[in-house]
Amino acid sequence: MTFYEKELNRISRIIYSNQGQIETVIGIRNYIDNNYDTDLNLDLLSHIRFVSKYHLLRLFKKYYGLTPKQYLIDKRIEKSKELLKNGMTVTETCFAVGFKSLGSFSTLFKSKTGKPPVQFQKEQLSRSKE
Amino acid sequence: MRIRVISIPVQDQEKALKFYTEKLRFVKKLDTPLDGGNRWLTLVAEDEQDGPEILLEPAPNHFKPAKVYQKALFEAGIPYTQFNVESVQNEYERLTKLGVEFSMKPTIMGTTKLAVFNDTCGNNIQLVEEL
Repeated sequence: MTFYEKELNRISRIIYSNQGQIETVIGIRNYIDNNYDTDLNLDLLSHIRFVSKYHLLRLFKKYYGLTPKQYLIDKRIEKSKELLKNGMTVTETCFAVGFKSLGSFSTLFKSKTGKPPVQFQKEQLSRSKE
Repeated sequence: MRIRVISIPVQDQEKALKFYTEKLRFVKKLDTPLDGGNRWLTLVAEDEQDGPEILLEPAPNHFKPAKVYQKALFEAGIPYTQFNVESVQNEYERLTKLGVEFSMKPTIMGTTKLAVFNDTCGNNIQLVEEL
């Protein structure tokens, strides 16, 4: 066993000792991955795993480094990039990934990727024609 | 400021190019000749070709401390670079069939699954899957 593997095992025993918590957050993350296009919120997520929503928020942040909401937004933006690349319109994409308002989708998309969805799509489509 | 290029020190650029493209399936992006047979050689992920580039740089051959550092990391099994994959287990099986050697088999660590392999150019590389 390498020094690295030994260290991983040692650290793992310290920070990943609570298997129940790990299963909870992995379950929540998988649920978001499979249902990002629906109307997700903390109340719903906490009911799925029978934990209080503030506990869930803390746990998720502790293990993944961001809140479920932030994770959901990142997931939706990532998916919307795929759809835009495939030629879906901005409006269709917005609703297909679960956003409720075109305005907030465009704003979030721009803040996460540096450009509005229309411009992103134009660049992608012109690139694929080259 | 943007993150455009990250470096991986390699002992042989040509050998590294073959390994990283043929086995790891990266795609060559830039290849510019520099002094003394060295190249500015960068690669991108196949399905993210406008994403960050990795620079296969020949530092260990030209700067002794780089060589010492690389060797020490390698011997301790420490990966300095990691790549994200959909499934660590699938990549482990695919790469093992191609003759790639793993110093750490797929291992679950909390909310991630990890594995470490030898890139044959002086480095341990870690594969990461978020669970």
